[in-house]
Amino acid sequence: MKIKIKTIKNILYAFIILLSYSSKIHAQISPGNLTFAHENLEGLSNCMKCHVMGKQLENSRCLSCHAEIKTMIDGNIGYHSTSYVKNTNCWDCHSEHHGRSFRIINFYPDKFDHNKAGFKLDGKHSQIKCEECHQTNFITNSLFKKRNGTYLGLSTNCVSCHKDVHQNTLGNNCASCHNTVMFKPAALFNHETAKFKLSGAHTKVECVKCHMKETLNGKSFQKFVGLQFRNCTPCHQDVHKGQFDENCVRCHNVESFKIMNKNTFDHSKTRFPLEGAHQRVSCIDCHGENLLSKLKFAKCTDCHKDAHFGEFTVNNVVTDCKECHDIFSFKTTLYTIREHNKAKLPLTGAHLAVSCQSCHYKTNLKQWHFRNIGIKCIDCHENVHGTELTEKFMPDNRCESCHVTDDWKKIHFDHDLTNFKLSGKHSSVPCRDCHEEKNESGKISFRFASLNLNCIICHNDVHFGQFNSNKIGSKPICENCHGYDNWKPIKFDHEKSNFQLKGAHEKVSCSSCHKKVTENVNVFIQYKLKDFKCASCHA
Amino acid sequence: MNKKLHAIYISSFFIIGIASTLLLAINGYQYYSTPLLTRFFNPQDILLKPSGFIGQGLGVLGSLMMIAGVAVYMTRKRIRFFFNFGYLKNWLELHIFLCTLGPIFILFHTAFKFGGIVAVSFWSMTAVVLSGIVGRFLYVQIPHTIQGQMIGINELNAQNENLSYQLKNVYKIPENIFSEIEEISSLKRYKNVKLKTGFIFIIKDFFGTKSVIYRLKHELALAGVPRPQRNRIAKTTKTKLIVSRRIGLLKTMQNFFKYWHVIHLPFAILMFVIMFIHIAVTVAFGYRWIF
Repeated sequence: MKIKIKTIKNILYAFIILLSYSSKIHAQISPGNLTFAHENLEGLSNCMKCHVMGKQLENSRCLSCHAEIKTMIDGNIGYHSTSYVKNTNCWDCHSEHHGRSFRIINFYPDKFDHNKAGFKLDGKHSQIKCEECHQTNFITNSLFKKRNGTYLGLSTNCVSCHKDVHQNTLGNNCASCHNTVMFKPAALFNHETAKFKLSGAHTKVECVKCHMKETLNGKSFQKFVGLQFRNCTPCHQDVHKGQFDENCVRCHNVESFKIMNKNTFDHSKTRFPLEGAHQRVSCIDCHGENLLSKLKFAKCTDCHKDAHFGEFTVNNVVTDCKECHDIFSFKTTLYTIREHNKAKLPLTGAHLAVSCQSCHYKTNLKQWHFRNIGIKCIDCHENVHGTELTEKFMPDNRCESCHVTDDWKKIHFDHDLTNFKLSGKHSSVPCRDCHEEKNESGKISFRFASLNLNCIICHNDVHFGQFNSNKIGSKPICENCHGYDNWKPIKFDHEKSNFQLKGAHEKVSCSSCHKKVTENVNVFIQYKLKDFKCASCHA
Repeated sequence: MNKKLHAIYISSFFIIGIASTLLLAINGYQYYSTPLLTRFFNPQDILLKPSGFIGQGLGVLGSLMMIAGVAVYMTRKRIRFFFNFGYLKNWLELHIFLCTLGPIFILFHTAFKFGGIVAVSFWSMTAVVLSGIVGRFLYVQIPHTIQGQMIGINELNAQNENLSYQLKNVYKIPENIFSEIEEISSLKRYKNVKLKTGFIFIIKDFFGTKSVIYRLKHELALAGVPRPQRNRIAKTTKTKLIVSRRIGLLKTMQNFFKYWHVIHLPFAILMFVIMFIHIAVTVAFGYRWIF
């Protein structure tokens, strides 16, 4: 039995030793198979191609073979140069010894966060398939170009995938003008950054109006650089056909060709230098929308409306405004009083002091009228006398038969022409004392025709009817006793009365017989005695 | 080491072993159940892969446990100077604990990926562990003193006779039942047991003994023997049956044990050789864990 056990032991030890020297075992030092990509590195002799004694692995070993990745890292290009990858080891993502079929590049295009590649997918880029960009013919790096199906090697430069329609005239930084949502319009372009800054109407026109399409190198091409803009004429037609210099902005504004540049346009160089109020009005007031329209300017009425409604049109010829107005204000006039005095109604007296509008502005019409407004007083003035003045005294409604233009109150009237000739005190009293009448409301009117000739119409009857005639409409009886010079009864003769004065009666004072009496509250001297009995006076 | 302290000693081995295994299995189940081709992309890979912090740590710890388990036991068993350092039985238990939990750690260190030269080491380790379990069984079948010395046949026969005396005179079991026990424990049963069929015979006898004890209890109950007495009789009878079997199979088991050594030791050597190669290559390539 001892021999048997020893034999078994020897066999086992021999097996172990043989096993140790077996090449199969040597090959199995590796912890697992390499992937298909690294299949050629299998075997003990190849370990050190990737591994470093005492240091496990070194990126430099990987990159010594994968030169294309090294190129990208060194050039700071692509996914492997981003912060997500740059500070990691190759084997942190690309592990090995997990078997032939191990996905050493564990890349799923659908799940990949493209931001990590240093190129954010947005706009249209987020909608297209990977393969539309990741094509071999878009890869510029020759090291990647050889690799089938690689997602590496693309440049972030737009023109590496997109056609440069600007034919290299605008550089290759497309993103400075275009976004990824749509190529047209160039949403990011800011014309302010260009040498020619857009202002006024330039901001509203389509790009193509200035940046014309043309053909370059046999291809359609829109020119964006190299445009002449020193002055306007490279783009704009010179409608003045060289009459002025090329500096259009001296007269025109960028807001509109029709809006003139007031600050710089010199109207004095035109045939119509602006003077007076013309300097204050806007261009459009005269020129309308079309500043280029040929305006007539020989007469004011070429621009201005005839405010007088043809009143000064004679034989179809409009009298020019400048005959009466100046250029400073329409309201001031050159038509002097002297000129007015050559007219049908020369201005005299108070007419010289009144404003024009008092006569010429018709308030009811709100219009000025200068012709055919009448020259009679009544055409302007109201006939305050109404029917009190008959045709005899105011023929043809002419006030001047009594009044003068100097003063309304100054009257020149021959009262002797009336039935009541003025004599005595009457010739010295003001007209108003007899003719003025104030009604209950205080309104003053003048009575002429309707004024009665009886004295008591004007004077008070101090005798309280003692001398009234019994006949209706008879002349005032005052004249029988009184004259016009004073109130004394110079015409009274006691002898002609019913009681002639004789004897002592001639020597007594009047008041001895004619005493004051009070009758019906009225106090008066009784001249007409009731009877002539002695006892009536004597006790 | 008294009985209580020994129970704590053994229990702590069980608790540490089972808890460690469960902890590693539960923690790493999701990772270990991931297919090898995609395991790299598992978030736990960085920790649990063989070169990961936990993975490599388990490798280092498992290796140290196995080295220590073997070294300590071999030292105590082989070097005379250490013969009086505790009971060999307890050192064996430590050896079994370290060399069971160590391979479990190594198993998790491999992350259940068995390839390369180190796989030879792994499978050698597996062979050593399995043969260890068999060896432990054989060791039990060969009666030893607490110091680990084998007990001789005369001493066993004396134990057997003593047990028969107890059953007949102390417990006074019925004659028919005693005769039956004597018949079952007769050494004639083991005469024809050969090396080839011995292992199967032992397993069959193990379950046969259980059946006999069960039947014995039933018959004692019918005979009106009280329960405490029945249990004591059953225990003594079981001891007698085991002693009889050990007497009957002593030679066969001793032969088995010799052959077992032939398997257990070379595989252990193979395992250690490749393990050291593996460690040397790993360290050379710079995988030094925390060191």
